[in-house]
Amino acid sequence: MAIGADRYASRADTLVFLVCVLLSLAAMSLPQRLREPLAQALRQTVLAPFLALQQQTELLSASLQRYDAVAAQRDSAALVATFLPELRSENARLRGLLGLGPRLGSGYVPAEVLHQAEPTNALTFLVSAGRKQGVKPLSAVVSPQGLVGIVSSVDAQTSVVVTWAHPEFRASAMAADGSVYGIVAPHGSDGPRSWLLQLQGVAYRQFVPDGALILTSGLGGVLPRGIPIGTVVGGAGEAEGWERTYLVRPAVHPAAITHVMILTAPPSRGDLRSVFEPDGQTP
Amino acid sequence: MRRSDTFRFLVVLAVLVVLQFSVRSHLGGDRIAPDFLLLALLIWTIRAQPGTSAGVGFLVGLARDALTPASFGAGALAHTLVGYLSAWSKAVFFAENLFVNGCLFFAGTWFRNLVMALASGKMKGGLLGWELLVWSPLQSLTTAVAGVLVLWLFGRRLAIRLSDA
Repeated sequence: MAIGADRYASRADTLVFLVCVLLSLAAMSLPQRLREPLAQALRQTVLAPFLALQQQTELLSASLQRYDAVAAQRDSAALVATFLPELRSENARLRGLLGLGPRLGSGYVPAEVLHQAEPTNALTFLVSAGRKQGVKPLSAVVSPQGLVGIVSSVDAQTSVVVTWAHPEFRASAMAADGSVYGIVAPHGSDGPRSWLLQLQGVAYRQFVPDGALILTSGLGGVLPRGIPIGTVVGGAGEAEGWERTYLVRPAVHPAAITHVMILTAPPSRGDLRSVFEPDGQTP
Repeated sequence: MRRSDTFRFLVVLAVLVVLQFSVRSHLGGDRIAPDFLLLALLIWTIRAQPGTSAGVGFLVGLARDALTPASFGAGALAHTLVGYLSAWSKAVFFAENLFVNGCLFFAGTWFRNLVMALASGKMKGGLLGWELLVWSPLQSLTTAVAGVLVLWLFGRRLAIRLSDA
């Protein structure tokens, strides 16, 4: 087929182009309450097979990685099989000493992160669990390192997660010892500190040392208490002598995670900080 | 164009769409792996009218907006512009050879990311600079390399005329 020389933009082409541009601008100006049902309808119809394909591929990839791990474990197990009774009894003793039990026995749903190619992927992304798995809007989304974000909308098989990097994300937070409370928000998209959070609204008389662990406080009832958000890396400023703001290095980077846990029920113990202790097993 | 050429053309585009949702996440970082869906759109524009390309770009962009609702509509606008401008510029300016098509793939990917970043309104300052000067060029480069490979392997079978230059 001859290409190019005999083809130019006709009036019809220009008209179609202008209509598409106008429709795009109209889509951008849609209110959130119309925008989300439209996106949801597309995800549940046209895009459903592609999302299913992506989900299966992620599962296959995880299975291959697990196969290598299982093969290594099998070899190790074969090697130490002669010492199994001793190992079993030692393990039982250690478990008894540490009081190690199921830290997050129920009330969560595991999900794969379905990353996309757009630059805004770190702000919101899809996960492979939805209404059928028990996910509800405003559920907390965590990884073994800490808070990832919250669920903003739920489809049948997938959910949209708003990460901490989204400009509208806010979480009620506290220092690990419960001495300081504030609100955590993204630091902003300008400058070298763009992927940091900030702890706002700290009373002026209260200091938070560098390296202090910041957890969710549970106030407001959206996020459970005790999920790690990040660690303080310095002060970000003072507002008129009545409050301080601190920079917080997030515990999790949204672009680096492949699997998450969605908390679907209030924790039985009310405080999740023991679940995320670094020397213990995490969910 | 023969019917078999059209069939092969559509099969290659379908394969690119499948690659986007299957192997892409295993080809390196999310921000630098080739964008096969955009590549399919750009290859479509090689043979289509600018108006049709704008319409297809709008549909592709709208579908992608449903997957990243942070910037709903921005993807539709970006892909519409890329589709139209790519088809139009191919008709007016570009010769048919691999290098020029590679440049088109590179420029199309970078321009798509530029429009999306600006239209979404969620990236400013340093974040925007890093996106446009570091991550977008890297993604554009991988997409261009993938596109050149596709044309090199299948170009003549798809009735896309390529010179030896």
